[in-house]
Amino acid sequence: MGRRTADGAERGTIRSVERAARILRELGSGAGRLGVTELSERLGIAKGTIHGLLRTLERQELVEQDPETGKYRLGPVMLQLGNAFLDAHELRSRSLLWADSLAQRVTEAVRVGILNGPRVLIVHHVFRPDDSVQILEVGASIPWNASALGKAIVAFLEPDRRAALLAGELPRLTGRTVTDPKELARVLERVAADGFAVEDQEGIVGEGEIAAPIFDHRGLPVGAIGIAGPVERLLPDGPDPHLVAAVKQVARNLSREMGAGRAAARGG
Amino acid sequence: MPVKSGSLLNLGPYDGVRFAMTEQRSLAARRGLTASARNARVAGVGGPGLRRGGAGMSDGLVVLDAGFIRSWIRAAAEELAAARDHLTQLDAAIGDADHGVNMDRGMQAALAALEDGADAPPGRLLLAVGNAIVLKVGGAAGPLYGSAFRAAGTTIGEDLVFDGEGLLAALRAGLEGIQRLGAAVEGDKTIVDAWLPAVAAFERELRSGGSTAEAAARAAVAAEEGARETIPMQARKGRASYLGPRSIGHQDPGATSTAILFQALARTARALGT
Repeated sequence: MGRRTADGAERGTIRSVERAARILRELGSGAGRLGVTELSERLGIAKGTIHGLLRTLERQELVEQDPETGKYRLGPVMLQLGNAFLDAHELRSRSLLWADSLAQRVTEAVRVGILNGPRVLIVHHVFRPDDSVQILEVGASIPWNASALGKAIVAFLEPDRRAALLAGELPRLTGRTVTDPKELARVLERVAADGFAVEDQEGIVGEGEIAAPIFDHRGLPVGAIGIAGPVERLLPDGPDPHLVAAVKQVARNLSREMGAGRAAARGG
Repeated sequence: MPVKSGSLLNLGPYDGVRFAMTEQRSLAARRGLTASARNARVAGVGGPGLRRGGAGMSDGLVVLDAGFIRSWIRAAAEELAAARDHLTQLDAAIGDADHGVNMDRGMQAALAALEDGADAPPGRLLLAVGNAIVLKVGGAAGPLYGSAFRAAGTTIGEDLVFDGEGLLAALRAGLEGIQRLGAAVEGDKTIVDAWLPAVAAFERELRSGGSTAEAAARAAVAAEEGARETIPMQARKGRASYLGPRSIGHQDPGATSTAILFQALARTARALGT
């Protein structure tokens, strides 16, 4: 690791860019709108500096100022950047049709996720094909240990990456979330043997998911696809075998499209 | 000790010995309850007015029974039915827009369970209500409210009557049931944000000498405030948490239905008088 300056910037990097990035992260942390003073206090950067950075970011439409309160929030360009990130993901574009047909076939919601640090980022979400109101979960970020998508991916990672994730933070989302690394390691062994992962109210009370990993040409998991819905339908008496077969089939097809060899595409 | 207006205990088919064993709370409460309960029996009170009301009261001591639970569930069903569209609107902002319908369906099932358990003691009634809700309500609300009523019922156990302390223990067990299942803490923008302050307020009022009705009234106010305080919160549990900062600015539907449950409880306790 390189030497760091007082405010954490690494040498050889540009401090003002680093500071601007910290402002964006702070505004994106869910704190809502923040004023110059609040940002100055939170980031430990002088108010004058914050003000200059905000004005620059505002000109680029990366932040915007609320005309009434004078506080700042993320700007419209951030949305474009977020969408560009999602679009750049090959897995997402390739999964669109597969996820849609899977959702139609099983009449449940389908989600595609990638691993982003210790969390699963939902990059695609097809609503359950009925007339009910549902919220779009694209962009949601879920601790890997509380998600079938996460377990399906992590079970097939290289051993050292898997061990690092097991040694990291394992947040609890419900009373059923597995947070004990040893128990979770056993769960992952089972996932690796079965080729699919199950989530039984570990992320949301009442909700379940059955997910299978998607592999790339190196045979490594690039993401996972899962059928999500109420546990009484998905796991009536353990995972519904038809749903398991359906999601594994789609994951295999997607893996093949991603260039995975036959062995990897079989899920192990 | 005269028994005030229409006090009554639905003793049902159980005998007095069993009844005398029912109270396991503080010594003072036990003495008080047993004495008043015996008086009620001796006096042979049990007029129809009280049977409907479902509780008896003597010298400021309210005795709660299966009738009280029935009245509470009926009041809750009524108020949740009236709030159906409101709850659904709240849920449309940060969820699947089905909370109002779900709660209404669950309470209808709970009412049916009350009919089936005609002679059941209060604890068993609560268990039956919990089971009905788990079976009929989808999403997170079914398991969470179902486990709350089940835990409350288990706490009252086979007792035929209970008092304010017993009700407090049952409400606290309900909270623990919810937290066991959902692992939510205060500030996560869930049912817990209404239920937890309600239990705390109920306990404070009892401890400072308030009646059960006063404690229930305080609890209802605290639950209502707790529900309103979820508005600026960012959801950290449940599907609403997927929305991240976008969950800010909306009142949590679960906390709102909890506030309604406590309002029904306060209304029921008030109707019994103190």
